[in-house]
Order: sequence, then structure tokens, then C-alpha cells
Amino acid sequence: MTTQAQIDAIQKSVTVQATLERAFQTFTDEIATWWPTATHSYGGDETETAVFEGKEGGRLYERQRDGTEADWGEVVAWDPPHRFVLEWKICPSEVEVRFSYESDGVTRVDLEHRGWERAGEGAEAMRENYSGGWDVVLGKYVAELVS
Amino acid sequence: MPSTFTALADPHRRAMLGLMLERPRAVGELVERLGLSQPGTSKHLRVLREAGLVSDRRDGTRRLYRVAPQGVAELRAYFDGFWDDVLSGFKEKIEGGAS
Repeated sequence: MTTQAQIDAIQKSVTVQATLERAFQTFTDEIATWWPTATHSYGGDETETAVFEGKEGGRLYERQRDGTEADWGEVVAWDPPHRFVLEWKICPSEVEVRFSYESDGVTRVDLEHRGWERAGEGAEAMRENYSGGWDVVLGKYVAELVS
Repeated sequence: MPSTFTALADPHRRAMLGLMLERPRAVGELVERLGLSQPGTSKHLRVLREAGLVSDRRDGTRRLYRVAPQGVAELRAYFDGFWDDVLSGFKEKIEGGAS
């Protein structure tokens, strides 16, 4: 008998000193100015830029020096400046990013990467409850933010 | 034995894992979908298998590869760190960089 494990969504949160609109715009339109492509792209050092097409059905992809493009995600919900949802192509899942007003000139960005239970359909029986690793990562993350 | 992160660091291997997450795959299908050579594809599969991310079994005359039970958790763990890096890059830019 096989059962699917409950695999919780990845949830991240960061607060930035920027207005809602600025945060949303920087994240999407200006993604090329900050996404760490050298370490977080298919092409690595060969990656020239990241492109975020800000519209429903838009693509989020990288373009490498030789012109090769590799998709990361597709916009399935577009609600500027509050939220967008991507169908994540790198592995079948979904990424939602929400921008909320925290105080004047301060915006909270929440990211949720979910749909891991879908993966159970391709995998063998799982009975793991994955939670320990994330606590360690969160601890490091919070320490990093306040340092 | 390659670590999970080593196994996941390669984009072709991540793509293969993505395909296997949809459903089990035969080597030939992975070769075709990824556009790599057969030996190249097999080498990537071996790394994934040795890292404990995929397992295989015979299905008639062919061998099917699928994501191992702990493979999904490992993939999730990879992206957990991935988003930490991405968000800190975003924060750094929006607060420190020239606008």
C-alpha cells in the first residue's frame, strides 16, 4: 500500500525598505538587475540576463550569451503591485509572491513555493514528514537578516 | 557518493528530475527530451541514483527511472536554500543598489 507524504510548501518572507510599487517593479520588471544568475540559472556564467514578462501568460526565463533561452516559469496570475503566481517549470510546482504594505516605505514580500505533493505521483511511496531541515534554514535566514 | 546538492547543481539533472516527477521515464525518453547523448544522459542518471534521488526498476524489456522517496524532499530542500539566496539578492539590490 502506498500513501503520499504531506510535504509542506516552502514559505519565505523578507521585509524591504521600499514602497509596494517599487518592490513589485524591482522584483519583476527589473529582475535582471538583481537575480544571481551566475549561481542560480541553467547557464551559470554563460547566462547574460533574466527576463520577466509582466503579464498573464508571460515567461520568466534566462537568456544565455549565445542567445539560448531557458524557461524558469510562466505567469499564471498577474496582479500588480500585490501578487503574481508562476507555474514553475524547473520542477512541476507553483510559486506565489505577495507584496504587502508593512508601514510607510516598508514592504513585506512573502514567497510560497508549493505543489510538492503533486510530485508524489511520480515518486514511490513516501512516509516522510519533512520539517526539520527547514527549521535549520529558517534559523540561518533570520540570523542573516538581522545581522 | 555525490551529495544531493552536487547532484542538483547541474541543470540537466534538475530537468531530468522534473520529468521524472511527472511520471517514471525510460532512458530513451530522457535522451530525447533533454537532447543529450545517451552516454551523457546515463551518466547524469547514475549521479542522481548514487545521490539517492532516483531509483529504477525493470518494466518488461526496458528500465524505468523514477524519483526516489526522499528525492522530492531533497528537491524541496534545494529550492528552500535557492529562495533564501534569491530573496537576499533582491533585498540587497532594492536597499543598497543605485535605483
